[in-house]
Amino acid sequence: MAPDRAVAAQARPEQEFFCFRVGELRFGVPSENVLEVFRAGLLTPLPRTPSFIMGVTGHRGEVLPVVDLLRFLSKGEARIGPRTRLFIGVTGSIVAGVVADTVLGLRRIPVSEILPPPLGGDAAAEHLLGVVHGTSTQDGINLLNFHKLLQTARQRAVAR
Amino acid sequence: MSLDTPNEKPTSKARSARKAPANKASAAAPPAPLKAFTDTLLTVLAGNLQARVPKELVGAGGEEMAHLLNQVLDNFASSEHRKHVAAQEIDQALDALISLVREGDLSRWNTTTEDPQLGPLLEGFGKVIETLRTFVREINEAALRLSSSANQVLAASTQHETSSTEQAAAIHETTATMEELKHASAQIAENAGSVARVAEETLGAARAGRGAIGEFIQAMQQIRSDGVAVADSIAKLSKRVERIGTVVEVIDEIADRSDLLALNAALEGSRAGEAGKGFSIVAAEMRRLAENVLDSTKEIKNLITEIREATAAAAGAAEASKSATESGEKLGAVAAQAVEGILAGVQETSDAARVINLATQQQRTATEQVVASMAEIEDVTRQTTQASKQATGAAAELTQLAARLAELIKRFKAD
Repeated sequence: MAPDRAVAAQARPEQEFFCFRVGELRFGVPSENVLEVFRAGLLTPLPRTPSFIMGVTGHRGEVLPVVDLLRFLSKGEARIGPRTRLFIGVTGSIVAGVVADTVLGLRRIPVSEILPPPLGGDAAAEHLLGVVHGTSTQDGINLLNFHKLLQTARQRAVAR
Repeated sequence: MSLDTPNEKPTSKARSARKAPANKASAAAPPAPLKAFTDTLLTVLAGNLQARVPKELVGAGGEEMAHLLNQVLDNFASSEHRKHVAAQEIDQALDALISLVREGDLSRWNTTTEDPQLGPLLEGFGKVIETLRTFVREINEAALRLSSSANQVLAASTQHETSSTEQAAAIHETTATMEELKHASAQIAENAGSVARVAEETLGAARAGRGAIGEFIQAMQQIRSDGVAVADSIAKLSKRVERIGTVVEVIDEIADRSDLLALNAALEGSRAGEAGKGFSIVAAEMRRLAENVLDSTKEIKNLITEIREATAAAAGAAEASKSATESGEKLGAVAAQAVEGILAGVQETSDAARVINLATQQQRTATEQVVASMAEIEDVTRQTTQASKQATGAAAELTQLAARLAELIKRFKAD
């Protein structure tokens, strides 16, 4: 099976995304940017931080800021329930927790199916790698440029 | 009489004169001196009793003789006169008697006499006639009274006859009424009998109803105890379901953790690159399984919720059933009481109907006796009517007889 898979990889290049849902929106983050997933426990709010920083949480001896993507992209507000997940995203030296209502799973998406983000869209569009259409409009996934997103977030947080 | 008195002397003289000549005539054919005697006697014999021997004609020798003869003639005349008067009085008496016999006239008897020989006779007649007069008067009075009495008797008898006829009619009517009464009492007896029968049937039905109500109450009690058992079972079921809920929670928790573990395993596999690919696939499968488990537990939770609602509804229904059966038991008790009342009432009705039946039977017997008595009375009354008819006839005859008697008595004139 291995040779077949190698051939398939060469013939049709794919990229693996960690897919999840927050609110009504579905996002994908390149899987190499995701370290670990766990349940969102108690968050400690931080003063003098932007509203998209929900607080900090402790994980394996580290204190991580927790980002609310919906607030960051001005698409509403995330709520934390008993089933709410928190995944640890990493890009460069930046490590942050991101709130996800449900984790859809790891998906391998053919590069050819990734469409460019719509031009002239809102501010969220600049943090997108592209868009993948599913079988229906609800199944469409916004693939995030996670590196850029975290950098912007850090800049905004520091700018304050 | 007093009128006749002056004539008495001449008449007796005449008579004696007549007698004397008869004696003298037969004596002899008289010579001339005797001629005066003879003539006088002839005159007296011819009817003139006043004739006397004239003294101047007889001469001296015959004076004594003439005087004696004249005395004889006077005596004769007075005797004749007396005879005549007596005859007249006898005629008068005879006339009165004739008229008495012929016309019944008693009033005309007025005869009196001075004749010593006739006097007692006429007096005796007078007494007899007076007695007859008294009789006639009394008889007349009696006849009148008899007539009026007979009329009264007739009236009374007629009235009695009418009354008796009316009585007979009344008795007949009474008999008819009694017959009707008999029929009516027979009808009543029949009705009372049917009432008793119906009451008996009602009694049976009410007894059956009492039994049914008893069974109903038992069934209600059974239902209530069953309902209590059902409520217990529902409570137990509810507890079990809660227990299942906690178990499902545990399973859910485990599945969630498995999901996270599988996800992180997949991420690890992904980081290991090509070497971790198979691992990633296995982890993804595991994750799918965990998701399946989560779906199932979600379904179970939904089911548990439904069961909870259903058991709550069932508990409510059991409670309602319990109160319903309680009120059913109460109603059954009330119905049982009512049926007891009905039973008592029907029993009384039945007894009363039996008593009525008995009473009407007695009444029927009494009525029959009365009818028989009335028949006897009717018979007697018929006889009475007949008798009173006869009495009326007799009274009519009596009235006629009284009238006749009065008529007859009227012929005798007492006054």
